[in-house]
Amino acid sequence: MAGSTQLLARRSLRARLGRTVAIAFAVLAGVSFVSGSFVLADSLGRSFDQLITELVQGIDVQVRSEAAFDNDDFGGDDTRPPIPVELVDVVAGVDGVAIAEPDFEGRAQILDPDGEPISSAGGPTFGVVWSGEDGLTSVTLKEGREPAGPGDVALDKATADRAGFEIGDTVSYVTDTGTHEATLVGTIGLSDSDSFVGASVVVLDIETGLDRYDTQGLVETINIGLAEGADADAVSAAVLNVLPAGLETITSEELIEETQDEVGEFISVFGNGLLGFAFVTAFVAAFIINNVFQITIGQRLRELALMRAIGASGTQVKRLIRIEALLVGIIGTVLGVLAGLVVARLIVAAFNAAGAGFPTPDLVLLPRTIIVAAIVGIGVTMLSVIVPARRAAKIPPLAAMRPDIGYTAIRSRRLVAGVVLSSIGVLMLLGGLFLASGTSAIIGLAAIGALLLFLGVASLSATVASPVSRFIGWPIAKVFKTPGRLAQDNVSRTPRRTASSAAALMIGVALVSAAAVFASSLRNSISATFDRAINADYVVQSDGGGGPGDGGFPPVVVDTLAALPEIEAATPFRIAFAQIDGDVKTLSAVDPVAAEQLVEFDVVDGDLSEIEITSLAVHDEAAESAGLAFGDDVDVTFENGETRTLQVDVVFSDNSFGLNWFIGLDLHEEVTAGTQDDLFALAKLADGVDAADGDRAVEDATAEFTQVNVQSNAEFLQEQEDQINQLLLVISFLLLFAIVIAVIGISITLALGVFERTREIGLLRAVGMSRRQTRRSVRWEAVIVSLFGAVVGIVLGTFLGAVLSIAVPDNIISELAFSPVIIIGILVGAVVAGLFAALYPSHKASSMDVLTAIATE
Amino acid sequence: MDVTELVREHAGRMTDVASPPPPSSSAAAPSGAAAGAVDATKIYGVGDAEVRALDGVTVAFETGKFTAIMGPSGSGKSTLLHCLAGLDSLTTGATYIGDTYLASLDDKSLTELRRTDVGFIFQSFNLIPTLTADENIRLPMMLGGDTGDTAWIEQVIDTVGLRDRLGHRPSELSGGQQQRVAVARALASRPKIVFADEPTGNLDSVTGTEILDFMRRAVRELGQTIVMVTHDPNAAAYADRVIFVADGHVVDELTDPSADDVLDKMKHLGG
Repeated sequence: MAGSTQLLARRSLRARLGRTVAIAFAVLAGVSFVSGSFVLADSLGRSFDQLITELVQGIDVQVRSEAAFDNDDFGGDDTRPPIPVELVDVVAGVDGVAIAEPDFEGRAQILDPDGEPISSAGGPTFGVVWSGEDGLTSVTLKEGREPAGPGDVALDKATADRAGFEIGDTVSYVTDTGTHEATLVGTIGLSDSDSFVGASVVVLDIETGLDRYDTQGLVETINIGLAEGADADAVSAAVLNVLPAGLETITSEELIEETQDEVGEFISVFGNGLLGFAFVTAFVAAFIINNVFQITIGQRLRELALMRAIGASGTQVKRLIRIEALLVGIIGTVLGVLAGLVVARLIVAAFNAAGAGFPTPDLVLLPRTIIVAAIVGIGVTMLSVIVPARRAAKIPPLAAMRPDIGYTAIRSRRLVAGVVLSSIGVLMLLGGLFLASGTSAIIGLAAIGALLLFLGVASLSATVASPVSRFIGWPIAKVFKTPGRLAQDNVSRTPRRTASSAAALMIGVALVSAAAVFASSLRNSISATFDRAINADYVVQSDGGGGPGDGGFPPVVVDTLAALPEIEAATPFRIAFAQIDGDVKTLSAVDPVAAEQLVEFDVVDGDLSEIEITSLAVHDEAAESAGLAFGDDVDVTFENGETRTLQVDVVFSDNSFGLNWFIGLDLHEEVTAGTQDDLFALAKLADGVDAADGDRAVEDATAEFTQVNVQSNAEFLQEQEDQINQLLLVISFLLLFAIVIAVIGISITLALGVFERTREIGLLRAVGMSRRQTRRSVRWEAVIVSLFGAVVGIVLGTFLGAVLSIAVPDNIISELAFSPVIIIGILVGAVVAGLFAALYPSHKASSMDVLTAIATE
Repeated sequence: MDVTELVREHAGRMTDVASPPPPSSSAAAPSGAAAGAVDATKIYGVGDAEVRALDGVTVAFETGKFTAIMGPSGSGKSTLLHCLAGLDSLTTGATYIGDTYLASLDDKSLTELRRTDVGFIFQSFNLIPTLTADENIRLPMMLGGDTGDTAWIEQVIDTVGLRDRLGHRPSELSGGQQQRVAVARALASRPKIVFADEPTGNLDSVTGTEILDFMRRAVRELGQTIVMVTHDPNAAAYADRVIFVADGHVVDELTDPSADDVLDKMKHLGG
């Protein structure tokens, strides 16, 4: 029995090759994105793992300070206070230690001959120290010699080559201690690579580094190379014995594992984000597959009924459809996994084009990727044919002679299902966004809710497809006369098909519009918050890179600004993590007097200008949830392990910035050793100072600090907007896959529709419609269908975006905003998509032979 | 047990539930019938729109005979064929094939019956377009999961003269060849009865004659039972017996008719 259905399935797939290819392509597209996401994450993971191993495997034991507490916040790897460089000698004196050398980094920028900081092609720029080619790290000298004094500097070879520096050239670099000139004495790389993991680095000798990176005699770690035959554990114990309390040792293996975990966490977040888009693509593909099977079952009605009449059971018919789906699913999956390798490369290229600075990885295809790809590819296909196969099985044998009976049997009842699915979807979505707690519960509920909502709306939209497409088609019918009229009629007389072929596009458009609403709301909220809560005229941020030290800048910048007569108030913002009552909190350190003038706090109790070194300022809601009230004493444990009792001296009610806990700079300096990082700073002009004069003064004063970017409010807001727009662009790019599949879906549906109407088209041609008019009629039909999808998508997406924006806390998004420009853009895009979708079917329709067409049964 | 008795018994049992009384004995099917109907009634629509496509038809088809059902358009002849073949169900009454009462069968058993006991020849669209002639002929057996009686199938193929066209798809065959494949398929499983619905309706007269000739040979030489619906008197003349249907009733019949006899009768029926 299985033999006959398999034969029939194979034959059917071969006979309807175009349809088979189309479905296989839909599967392929979904699968390739899914497997591509995995391949990308695995490949990046592996190349980073290799890199990390290569970087640190030579370090037998590392000495570092203990973390005061675990910081589980994303990106918050445990920050550890630095350790005095004098301890290097102490460690070196321990038996079994062959090499002991300090490791630390500092902020540094390299200036090109014109004095402009050179950009590092996406990677960060920072300073390191040379510790010799001693096997501890994989840093190797590529050219020249190592830096040996204040007059020497080395660069990574990739950066030196790019900037055109030769050995012996004078190179200027900027650190926290100012701009320095030195002779380029050598270039370095990591093992065989000329670059330093994509970063641009300044390399100084240890002495010069301690001085110019302004570490105040402190280093991050002491790396130990063991003497031959020495035992790591024994040496660790001996080292700890001679060192002060608060330090710990870690072996090479542990260090590799720890670092890989940190990087792995980032990569898995990135990979999961991509996977989200990949599943959207697979979901859209499912709509197409379902739609194509649904239509072809209508077209194969007599054939299937004939099979029933000569003795095939309903189960066999069902099996036939399922085997067809299975075979296409397998083909699509196999090709999709292969295409996934290409997709992974494309995504890396796309992200690098946007400046992400990923290494080009060797592609890794794990068995897990293939298994998930198969589950998605074959699963999506099989799920898509559940309903078509069940309907096919219901075709009565009598339909072999009377097809009209068959059509009633395969008609669907969508309204009830649509209402039920949409309602459950909306409830889950709202429940997820407003009631659930915990990231995975929120995302899970909301995602499934959105999915059900899409399914429900896809079904429901059939009920409005006729009037809406008639409305959309009205101007087209007016302008393009008869072909336009025919297009309008054809779309609105088959509302179900219109709805289901537009559904895939609807999903893509909905997600783009939701993102657009979210982005517009975010942009407006930021701007509104800024206007309301910030009284500053200038925003200072670190310019470029990021890198170690999180892209902060030295305190001298704000000091310089504050000293200007034109500036009335200026404060840096520094971040400290601290443990309060068992929870890790993010504390912001500011100059309280200046901050009060620059930021709207709405102080409820106390006075910010009277904050002391023992004071804490807390937002009222944060205080309440921590069980604190004005005047309470509370124990705060800082990153250096120190616990201090602070008093809640100020309670404020406006946390528009999202910052809830404040301390003074003096306290921050006492509990953090080493380099001070100002993350950003605000400054405001004194009363009566002309804005242009102020700008000039600020510009002149900060010209020497190439590491910072001083922006006016307008510039800052523009930059925020640019970043949001860029994010929107990335999201749209990732949804492009789904949208391309959707357009192909419309094309297939239309081509099948043209095939069904062969006789009718022949008739129209016979009574005098030209090929051109035929083509035009099909073309506008496609445009109406895709516009219908876009309109439903925009409505649904705007709803989703609005709900999402409302669900986000008020200090991030406080107001809803819609972007008419994007909506118009989507509509124009839908017309273009329709024109593309019509290319093949309109050609097909217009190239029919009139007589053959009429003779078709 | 006699088929007639069996049918009556079934019909009798049905009466207790919902059906009209069993048919009178005057219309009893002759012993050894391959198929038949007892008081078969088929009603489409309700109220004013009610149409009685069949109105108390009782008829039996002898084993090993070629019977034609004739009647004007809308007479109910096709409905009768569909109900006899188990493709459609009656409103009341009974149909049977061999000693099986069709209304007692569920979909699964009906499917089984169509595969093993019944052969079909339709007016058009008889073949699965994606399968070759050979595969189309063997499809009912393949669906049942066996190869059937190979020697018999070979004989059928030779008889219809399709040996050299076996590897071709329907689209590569002429209309007459397609119908011959359909006939071969109908015979391939040695069914108890073959139902043909206007098998020559789409063919020119020469090809049509060929098919009819072949069907008659299948009855005479191979002992096959065939019931054919037609409105072509020439086609009906090939049958051993012609049953005339009008307005849902069996109104007359002829045995070993000539085309002229049939035409005569049809004139009386106003067809």
